[in-house]
Amino acid sequence: MSASFYVGALELTTGAVLVCAVMTLWRRQVRTIVTMLRLQGVSLALVAGVLAWHEHDLGLAITAALVLGVKGALVPWLLRRVIRLDPRSRETAPLINVPASLVSAAFLIVVSYVVCSKLTALAPSAASRLVPIGVATVLVGYFMLVTRRRSVSQIVGLLLVDNGIALVTFLLTAGVPLIVELGSTLDVLLVVVVLQVLVVNAGARHGSFDLDEMRELHD
Amino acid sequence: MTPAGSPLGYAIIASLLQVVLVALGGPLLMGLMAKVRARAEGRVGAPIRQPLRDLRKLMGKEGLRAHHSSVVLAVAPLVVLGSTTLAVAISPLVTTHPLLSASADLFVIVYLLLTGSVAMALAGLDTGTAFGGMGSSRAITIGALAEPALLVAVIALSIQARTSNLPAIVADTITHPVWSSTPTRLLALVALVIVVIAETGRLPVDNPNTHLELTMIHEAMTLEYAGSDLGLVTLGAAMRLGLLFALLMNLFVPWGVATGHTMLALPAAVMFLTLKASLLAVVVSLIEVHSAKLRLFRIPELLAGGFVLAVLAVITQLVAR
Amino acid sequence: MLSLFALVIPLVMGVIALVVPWRRWIGWGSAVSSAGVLGVGIALCVTTSSHGPVSSLHGALRADALSSFMVVVIGTVALLATLQTPRVMTQELEEGTTTRRHAGNYVVLMQAFITCMLTAVLAANLGVLWVAVEATTIATTFLVSHYRTKKAVEASWKYVILCSVGIALAFFGTVLVYYAALHSGVGKIGAASLNWTSLMAIAPHLNHGVMRLAVTLLVLGYGTKVGLAPTHSWLADAHSQAPAPVSALMSGVLLTVAFYALLRFKAIADAALGPAYPRALFIIVGLLSLLVAAVLLIAQRDYKRMLAYSSVEHMGLLALGAAAGSSLAIAAVLLHMLGHGLTKSTLFISSGEIAHAEGTTEIAKVKALLARRPVLGGIFGCALLALLGLPPFSLFISEFTMARAEVNVGLWWVVAISLVCLSVIFVSMTNHARHLLLGAGSAPAVSLRARSVAVPLVSALVASAFIGVSAWPLLSLLQAAAHVVAP
Repeated sequence: MSASFYVGALELTTGAVLVCAVMTLWRRQVRTIVTMLRLQGVSLALVAGVLAWHEHDLGLAITAALVLGVKGALVPWLLRRVIRLDPRSRETAPLINVPASLVSAAFLIVVSYVVCSKLTALAPSAASRLVPIGVATVLVGYFMLVTRRRSVSQIVGLLLVDNGIALVTFLLTAGVPLIVELGSTLDVLLVVVVLQVLVVNAGARHGSFDLDEMRELHD
Repeated sequence: MTPAGSPLGYAIIASLLQVVLVALGGPLLMGLMAKVRARAEGRVGAPIRQPLRDLRKLMGKEGLRAHHSSVVLAVAPLVVLGSTTLAVAISPLVTTHPLLSASADLFVIVYLLLTGSVAMALAGLDTGTAFGGMGSSRAITIGALAEPALLVAVIALSIQARTSNLPAIVADTITHPVWSSTPTRLLALVALVIVVIAETGRLPVDNPNTHLELTMIHEAMTLEYAGSDLGLVTLGAAMRLGLLFALLMNLFVPWGVATGHTMLALPAAVMFLTLKASLLAVVVSLIEVHSAKLRLFRIPELLAGGFVLAVLAVITQLVAR
Repeated sequence: MLSLFALVIPLVMGVIALVVPWRRWIGWGSAVSSAGVLGVGIALCVTTSSHGPVSSLHGALRADALSSFMVVVIGTVALLATLQTPRVMTQELEEGTTTRRHAGNYVVLMQAFITCMLTAVLAANLGVLWVAVEATTIATTFLVSHYRTKKAVEASWKYVILCSVGIALAFFGTVLVYYAALHSGVGKIGAASLNWTSLMAIAPHLNHGVMRLAVTLLVLGYGTKVGLAPTHSWLADAHSQAPAPVSALMSGVLLTVAFYALLRFKAIADAALGPAYPRALFIIVGLLSLLVAAVLLIAQRDYKRMLAYSSVEHMGLLALGAAAGSSLAIAAVLLHMLGHGLTKSTLFISSGEIAHAEGTTEIAKVKALLARRPVLGGIFGCALLALLGLPPFSLFISEFTMARAEVNVGLWWVVAISLVCLSVIFVSMTNHARHLLLGAGSAPAVSLRARSVAVPLVSALVASAFIGVSAWPLLSLLQAAAHVVAP
């Protein structure tokens, strides 16, 4: 693979991860948001694939396939089931309106660019320079977790955080050791399964799963 | 890369050509978009040159003005037309060496267009009617929201080319064809498309065909114009559309733009530009067919999205450098 | 081999419970497996103190004195908690609050939970440690929502979201440590760079900027799971809604297992950055936790939540002890972990019995426990005294030693602030306890049921008092374990 093609492909796939993150803040239809998450999972797998190709790293190639399967297919499928069972979560209910969220996202992106300068200084390379994009995805995920109150939005926020960290992992260190990578991907999948089961069970038992009604526990 | 030393005669001819092309092409683009839309909806639609005919008819009529209107109402159409014409003349549309190309900075073009918008908004307020004021306030709101997105997207492009001179950016893109597909470019492109749709008053931001009081924006401001004044305002709006479409295409797919100083390249450049702009017009009108007008309070969401994408473009450029 | 045993025992028990439908003996089986874990833990302590660290599974598992001590803590509290399983499940089945399928699942998840914690403390690789800590969240979610009430579902939802998000930060921190290790400029260590031993060896060469960011993220991330402020809010919800033995296990060891992870990373950070920066971080979160606990305990209306906030307080104390960082302080921290595990699990289990008998967890609605239920009330009262740090119980000696170690490194102002918080907590908790325990009432005959609860709990209290007054057999073990992470 030629150097310029490698850099170009890496930039394009990495950029796509962040664009998908921003789109999840932008769109109101939860189905669209889940589609964006699927695209993000695919882009993330592509990032890993491009890096694996460039570094001739078999472990990373396995990781790429795993990410594609879990984040590009399984997790979106589970989320669609949640939407079907939790009709109220078809539209997001932002606590902060969409334009303000988007402007905050822009701010977070700038912040991550500033913060990451120290990180990339240690070992500058085509990949590690793109780390701010991963950090920005993480921050957008946290923002979504804080400002969105539907069950699916919260899961999506969690997954954005996770995808962002995975992206940073790929870009900084070409992935952590395979066993850790396997473990962490499996953990993510299980967390989504657990949350899905919670929504399903609560829906079957109490009629609905509404985070707005979840204000019984407090001090 | 500044194309300073270009022969004066060539520059004058090229600029004149651009002005004529946009003055004729702008209305034709509008006609084309109306035609595509009509066909997509299963109607025959008016012929493509209908806007030109309308313009000719309007120009032949007397311009009536309201009793209590001031000089603003009379001057605004001239300002709109003048600023747009100047922007057209110095932009790199068919050549990268038009007149005054050294000062054809991105910011200059943006603010020339803004001058026209401000004049229009003032004219809308001038007659003191309810609709005019409403239209002005909406137009200015949308403009204020689109402006940051436009500027940031433009900054992203300038960082990549290391200059904010428009002809130089276009020339750079021709010499580095890879650039047109970097993430920065793609993000900036989406951001600029959103801005252009908002600035030219197309769906889903504004419906150019409506005179429904609750939804109209640009039409509300021109409601008090008649005859030749209306003709000038409409021509100004059409030229603005032509200029923005042509610029957008040239920034991202600059192929066909003449880079040398030979007259012979100009006819081919004109053909390419016409093709590219028509293509964009067809795409935009097809999008329009499939989208309903956004409620007014949802427009900020669209433009804020454009703003974020523009910021993303800047950051990816800074990161990837 | 031994460390592998520790993992296999609960794993096998979990598989049995998965395959065989619920019987009473399965409940007893889970208790036996915990006893087995405790036995293996003691054997590990003996082996590591005589032969040094032992590895198994091609170096994937590694037990040093610190890990062995943690296995003992896990085994002890797990034994206390699982001894309740047969009784609690039989009783719930009789009352119809659970089904046989759910009772079976309960045992499976408990064993999975214990296996995850053991994996966390025995893993040689710090990335695997993270995976195991995250897996504890998954294993405990359905334990928290065991009763399937609206509140329980709410609590487990908040628990999963907050802990997963928090722990994601810890993963970020771990990745940064790995990144710093890959670019330390010391040889090629490749995939082994996340191993504790190789990280400690190259620690002085790790990049400062990256390590600073990494430690901050790790403290915030694992701090969420430890229950340290500012991300402590899941703790009270989850602990108050979970079944009592689960709360006992979570509060007694899960928090300390996460703290164990912090201790490991702090040792690396100390070697890489010098003690000042990690110390400042630990002092901030520790004091903040004490402050939060003190404020929220004053007007607490629910006694299970009161116990949960007391866990926040004790985790804050551990953070302050770790901030001091000397081997004396770390030994006291470890002793505090054991003592807290014993007393807190006793308190949660007895509070579960009280809640079951009285039908409420509100402090205002429960009165005169000592007079009406002398055994239960007596245990609860004694354990509360132990928790408040009164002699002869071990929390007194560990708190005292931590304070002394903090003063030794010049942190007297930290001790002063924490003393103020502790006295506020002392007053408010004794006030709540007075409401719960004292008053007039008639005592029914002590039932057999109460006795079967009482025996393990009283033994735990006796053990806590014993290690509070006697240095044997823990002193040398604690010193050895403390030396692993402290100079």
